[in-house]
Amino acid sequence: MSEQAGDGVILRLDDVHTYYGSIHALKGVSLEVREGEIVTLIGANGAGKSTTLRSINGLNHPRDGRIRFGDKDITNDPAHAIVKMGISQSPEGRKLFPRMSVLENLEMGTFQRRDKGNFKEDLDRVYSLFPRLLERKAQKAGTLSGGEQQMVAIGRALMARPKLLMLDEPSMGLAPIFVEKIFEIVREINEQGTPILLVEQNALMALDTAQRGYVMETGRIALADEAKALRTNEQVRKTYLGETE
Amino acid sequence: MSRGPRRPKAFDAGKIADRLPDPVRRLLLPAVVIGLGLLYPFYIDSLKDFAVVGDYFPSLNSMVIMVVFTMMAVGLNIVVGYAGLLDLGYVAFYAAGAYTAAWLASLQFEQVTFHFGSVGVSEDLPGIHISIWLVLIAAALFTALAGIMIGLPTLRLRGDYLAIVTLGFGEIIPQVVRNGDSIGGFDLTHGTFGISPIDSPGFGTTLSDAIGLPESYRVAENAQELFFWTALALLLFTVFCSVRLRDSRLGRAWIAIREDETAAAAMGIPLMRTKTWAYAIGAFFGGIAGAYYASFKSGAFPADFYFNISVFLLCMVILGGMGSVWGVIVGGMILGWLNVEGLATIGSNAGIADVPKYQFGIYGAIIVVMMLVRPTGLIPERRRKRELEEGVHDETLYGTSH
Repeated sequence: MSEQAGDGVILRLDDVHTYYGSIHALKGVSLEVREGEIVTLIGANGAGKSTTLRSINGLNHPRDGRIRFGDKDITNDPAHAIVKMGISQSPEGRKLFPRMSVLENLEMGTFQRRDKGNFKEDLDRVYSLFPRLLERKAQKAGTLSGGEQQMVAIGRALMARPKLLMLDEPSMGLAPIFVEKIFEIVREINEQGTPILLVEQNALMALDTAQRGYVMETGRIALADEAKALRTNEQVRKTYLGETE
Repeated sequence: MSRGPRRPKAFDAGKIADRLPDPVRRLLLPAVVIGLGLLYPFYIDSLKDFAVVGDYFPSLNSMVIMVVFTMMAVGLNIVVGYAGLLDLGYVAFYAAGAYTAAWLASLQFEQVTFHFGSVGVSEDLPGIHISIWLVLIAAALFTALAGIMIGLPTLRLRGDYLAIVTLGFGEIIPQVVRNGDSIGGFDLTHGTFGISPIDSPGFGTTLSDAIGLPESYRVAENAQELFFWTALALLLFTVFCSVRLRDSRLGRAWIAIREDETAAAAMGIPLMRTKTWAYAIGAFFGGIAGAYYASFKSGAFPADFYFNISVFLLCMVILGGMGSVWGVIVGGMILGWLNVEGLATIGSNAGIADVPKYQFGIYGAIIVVMMLVRPTGLIPERRRKRELEEGVHDETLYGTSH
């Protein structure tokens, strides 16, 4: 059904159920990301957004359902194999290597890549997206400001040359001016050709940036639509945009 | 903590790091130390003649033991220092190495008579007698395999849980050895008596006649020197591998896991495989050291493989500086010296008997004082030093300076 060439679906989750021990965290999540788009996943704390990402990247395998990436079933593949296939991410809370320098952190992003030859090219790309990181390349990642750390986290994910980039709460804990900037860069990365799955609590910014969006509620997809439509959806406005506007 | 004061500090650290790759610093000092070590047999007697301090220089025999234990500490450092896996059962690998030597180069299996490159034993002596050099390789591989087998089920655990399980394995192995004299009627380990004698290293008559290599260490005139130099060579091999590994892709993966396991997984580092490698490689060197030591003292005895050896090795690593190869060597030599003769010499010179009886209390006190005065160890690894000085900033620092 979905695997025909041309429909451009790069990632598809099909009725995914994920558990933490006995806690049923995802209760049948289905979503898809197509070539070239930014898809956002919004919802309240604990709705299952990060769990969805952890199900995709192999850190928490689903107990039920299927995840396809391109034409491969990756439902039960280990995390390192999934990175190798081309899904990289900026994890929740950034998860930098605090005692490594900015440059060393970026190098870690290439761990699963075989074509190390293009390292310099990719590094230049990251530095052109985040000139700040070039200035700070020798500094320990743990001593950077929150915004700079987020830049490293995104840069590090890009160093893997992902076919799909997953960003988990890139705006978390950042000053408003920084949030704007991060989203600008997210758009720029996307325009350079990388599809992005964006998890955000800042629903307003996320819906402004993405083409399509999914709203999660207690482990389920409550709404799925064009981002613009969600932006004007009564229920979404009341629940998720009320706080930020 | 405010961000203000930390920034300049980080820059300072960078400057010091820039100065380090100076080739003189990096190569000259190790070369001098290695040279002094190799020549030790030649000047030990003159050292011993010094008044007062002369007594404190270790004999060649003690040096062999110190070097072998240091080698084990350097191996343990790969597991604990590089990969950050607290292993409280390293003695298991020491035992596995020693018993491999005991099985492959002694009278233990007298049902068979098998000789291959053995030296110093008559051709018709029963038991398996394989050249010690091959035994060292066999011990290394067998122990690495044991490391993998112990590692696979346990390395899924993190932190304290791993420590507890390794502690268990460190206890199980000596018990198996102790009670292994009748496994279904088969005498595998000779129980509490241990296995002795074990063949000596050597190069055999052919090589001895041809190029003058020692035929068999134990009967050679300069046996102590030979054992010492060989131990030193094995230590250097361990150090060389250790340094090369640290700077490799695998070494970087270990450090990443030590810093943040989840982040490492997210970067595509296969956690299990990477950790198991650390375990196997650490075990590999423990196995060589154990086998060599067994051959040196011509025996493997269950009483040698108690839990306190694991702790003792861990103390060497902590004292020297976790993750720092040079630090661990210094820590290993100091504690090794205290253990084999330092404490006894100090005791007898000070007129206090029984000082060695309190050795573990003394080591404990040393570690406590170290933790207070210099928690990063005698020669800290640069990265580790930062961890302890700056704390772990896994949580975000909220910054708005743009």
